This record gives sequence, structure tokens and C-alpha cells, in this order.
Amino acid sequence: MGIFDAFKRRNPDAAELQRQAELGTMLHGGPLPVHMTERLTAARSGTAPWVSTLTPSEMRVVRSHGIRPISSIAATCWMHYGWSWTLGHAEGWNTALRRLKREAIEAGANAVLDVKMRTVPLAVENSMDFTLVGTAVYIEGMKPSGNPIVATVPALEFVKLLEADVVPTGIAVGAHYAWMTDWQGTATMAWMGNIEARALSQLLESVRRTAYADLRRNAQGQGNGVLAHINFSEILERENEQGPKAYLARHIVVATTVDAGPAVPMHHEITMALDMRGPSTPLTGTTPHHQSYATNDDEGAI
Amino acid sequence: MIDGSTAPIPEFARRRIAEGAGSRSAAAVFTSDLSVNEFLLIRKAGFEPVGLCVGTCVYHVGIQYGNWNKNQELTVLSQAMYQARELAMARMREEATAMGADGIVGVKLTIKRVEFDSNLLEFIAFGTGVVHGKGHRGFRAHDGGPFTSDLSGQDFFSLLHAGYRPIEMVMGSCVYHVAHRNLLATMRSIGQNVELENFTSAMYDAREIAIERMQHEAAAAQAEGVVGVDMHEGSHGWQSHVIEFFAIGTAVSPIGEEIAPDKIADPIMVLSVND
Repeated sequence: MGIFDAFKRRNPDAAELQRQAELGTMLHGGPLPVHMTERLTAARSGTAPWVSTLTPSEMRVVRSHGIRPISSIAATCWMHYGWSWTLGHAEGWNTALRRLKREAIEAGANAVLDVKMRTVPLAVENSMDFTLVGTAVYIEGMKPSGNPIVATVPALEFVKLLEADVVPTGIAVGAHYAWMTDWQGTATMAWMGNIEARALSQLLESVRRTAYADLRRNAQGQGNGVLAHINFSEILERENEQGPKAYLARHIVVATTVDAGPAVPMHHEITMALDMRGPSTPLTGTTPHHQSYATNDDEGAI
Repeated sequence: MIDGSTAPIPEFARRRIAEGAGSRSAAAVFTSDLSVNEFLLIRKAGFEPVGLCVGTCVYHVGIQYGNWNKNQELTVLSQAMYQARELAMARMREEATAMGADGIVGVKLTIKRVEFDSNLLEFIAFGTGVVHGKGHRGFRAHDGGPFTSDLSGQDFFSLLHAGYRPIEMVMGSCVYHVAHRNLLATMRSIGQNVELENFTSAMYDAREIAIERMQHEAAAAQAEGVVGVDMHEGSHGWQSHVIEFFAIGTAVSPIGEEIAPDKIADPIMVLSVND
């Protein structure tokens, strides 16, 4: 293909404005832009190549289970957080999730696999982009669903779960924050020896517990349980000119929801294997599943 | 290999050890950056490495500024990023052709900045050329040249076993300027949690353009689909609101006829005890 062929197809002005107007309509709940629908339909019907984020070994496993890729899809919500950073995050992910499902429905999919959380490295005035990317697939012999499954697990784990009668269904977010004004100055502990900062413990603990309760509430209606999650929490201190110091604690938890059938043992025999590849093993997933909360990366894939 | 732990060392291996290194001193030495597992799997798939192939392109990226308050593609930059990668890839492929390779596996595409000039970018494409052991030419790309693929040796093996062959590494690039917000809108949103719709639609627009271009390339290579697609977002020393969306993956086609799902061998479920 000639180098510039790809650029010829776009009529710069009119087409560009048209695309952006249609995108604007979509963000307000209108239909998906025509060019997006066309591309997805072409990929679904085989008139254009399908596009998949799965690796070949993942492709092999999903194909042997009658799953076909349609296209990689993505949904974004760029939120500006004014009154609450924490709740802005929750809203951002939830909006992106709704949009991802709509795009999957439009593609004629009944599931989205390998869903990852992404954030682009553009720092813009108190805002962040909340993006979910994944591969829309259809499961042969099943009708396209009005409420597609959103699986944050890589395809291999998706199939592992299906074999055990567990369906990963979606993403649940729990978020909470609280301010504490330290009237008594109990958190200022200069010159003290070994002593617990009780006020801060209590603040963080109650914020965490509320965030987990929020997660549980959010997961209801999506499934009957949640699996591995990302935790992000921090505590910040704000000094006041004339008053006592104030502390802000926040906690965000994002998890995969699952719908698990009654416990039946997997029909496969399990072979114990020592994988010589070590940490980069293909057996336990592929790429990191999010890069949105850099400081709290050690909790594993969501 | 996994369960054959009690098997003795084979006779030919004993002989090799006894004879010492270099005794097989072939006329041609192959070079590669394959790991042990990759090497074994590529040979198992019927291929032999022939040599490392590399393509380099140092590119002077032109200048284009976005309109302050407009969402728009910066086509000068998009074209620069695309053309420079294309040149590096084509040079790598030329080297592979000269070696008589049927394909290149494990291609890595990297971009480096040059210290003395912020407009100069160095693009490097790098991979291991392989030939089919029995001289089968059916694995070549649609144009008769070597296939290219960013798949690792393991992935290459699994792909062939799933009944597919790689054709070409396909990519789509879109450098996009995200509109700045006007002061009034900024003032209005102070203290509120609101979506910045302009930014959201910029992300959608740019990503869609990149994916469309990649898919277009795959169609031109007569592929059935694209595996292992990844979307990279990067800023290569441009203004603060400029970002590149770069989609890349390996275009694939079925070998002969597509294998029916129930004919693909069931994988063995393995529970890793490593972690």
C-alpha cells in the first residue's frame, strides 16, 4: 500500500466537522456516528478484517470455544473534577462502562473481553480521561445481547472461568472520601514516641469501609460477587492559615463482577506445572490491565 | 518436554557435548534475539532463524500547530510518524529479502529522540528473519516478500496451530490536537464534576482514525483479521495538547481452510504453581 493512501480518503474540513458533530450527539445518548457503525458492521459481517487485542494463544482458546472476535472497541469519558475528585473517578469509569456496552451492542457482540482501563498522558486542569478498551466478540449460537458481558479478565482467564460455570459480567466501582478537620491537633505528633495516630486510622478505616460498601452496592444487579480489584487510596494534609489542619482521605476500588453458579468442580483434570518462564508467564494473563493508578500497581490485574 | 523429565540425554546431544563447541561449524552462522523457548518453538513450527534484520530511519518531523480551540488531526505529523515507521519497516524487510527469509518474527518498533535536535526522531524496526525448513514458500506475504509480525516465538507457534499465518504488521497513526477550553467554560465548571465533552470526543475521533487506517492496511494485505492489536498513546516532544494514537497489530489469514472450532485441539488446563 502506498504511504499516503490512508490519508487521501479523508476530506479534511466537511468530513471532520461532520464526524465531530456526530460524536457530540453520541455523547448525549444519540446514535453512534455513521462511520463507526459502518466499520463495526463490516468487521462483524466479514467484509472488513476483524480486529482483536487477543494474542494468538488466546485466539486459539476462544475459537475452540466458539467465540469470534469482531473488533477492538473503546469508550472514553473525560471528566473534570470540581467538587469531588473521588466521585469524579467513579462517575468517569461508570460512564465509560455504559458507553462501552453501547458500542458492543452496536457491533452485534454479546461480550467484550480483555477490557483494560487506560488513561492518556495528557495532564489537563483537574481532569482525567477514563478509557476502557477491549475486544467485542460474539459467541456462536447465542443471540447478540442487549446487555453484553464486560470481562476485565484476559481471554484465557475468561475461558477458564466459563469452564467453571462462572461468568465475568462487568466492572463495579466503589469510591468514597472524607475530610477531617483536626480541631484537637491530635494528628500533629511531633516529639511523641511510639503511638498510633488514632484519628487518622479512624478516618482512613471509615473511608475504606464505606468505599467497599459502595462497591458491594454497585456490584448488585451485575452479578453475585466480585473478584480481584484495584485499590487506590491516599491521605492528604491541608494546612490552614488560621484554623486547624484538615485531612482528606480517599479510597477508590475497581473490581470485576462475576456471576457464579453453584459450586461444581471443574470437569478438567488439573495438571500442576512449574512454568519456567517465571513472572512473564502466559498462563496468568497478558499485559497489565490498567495504568490509570500508577502508584497502586501492585494489586494485580483487575 | 514437560513430562519427559526422566528421559536420558539423547545420543546426539551426548556426542555434541563430547566433541566440544564449534564442531558443527556451519558455513553460515545465524543471529537472532530469540529466547530459548522461542527458538525451540519456532523450530517446532518448522522454521529456522537466518538472521537479525534491522531498519533505521532518522526523520525530521515537520512543524504543525493546532488551532488553539479546535479538535483536529495534525496531518503533517500523522504522515511523518507513519512514513518514518514505514521506511524503517521497509528497510528491515529488504534486509530479510536479501537473506532469503520467508518472514520476520518478533519485530520490535521503537522510537528514540535525538539529544541535539528536538525535531529529529529515530525509528528502529528490528526482528529475526526466519525461513521455512522445507522451503515451503506459502508462508510469504501477499506480495511474495517475507511476512512481518510482532509476535513472539511462542505466539507464532500458537498462531500456526490455530490454523492461521501472519501476513504483515499493520499500523495506523493519528496525531491529534485536543482543543483547549475557553476561559468561560473553565470558569463555569469550577467546583463542578462535569464531563469535558470536547476532550472525550477528541479521544474517540483520534482513536477511530488510527484503527480505521490500520484496518484499511489489513484489508489491502488481503488479511482475514488482525491479532494482538495494541493502541499506544504518545507525545514525542510536541505541544502539550498534542497526542499520537498509534494502533499496531499483526494481520493474519487462515492457512488453507479455516479450522472448525471443534477440530482445534483442546488445550490442557494448567494451574501454574509459580505465583
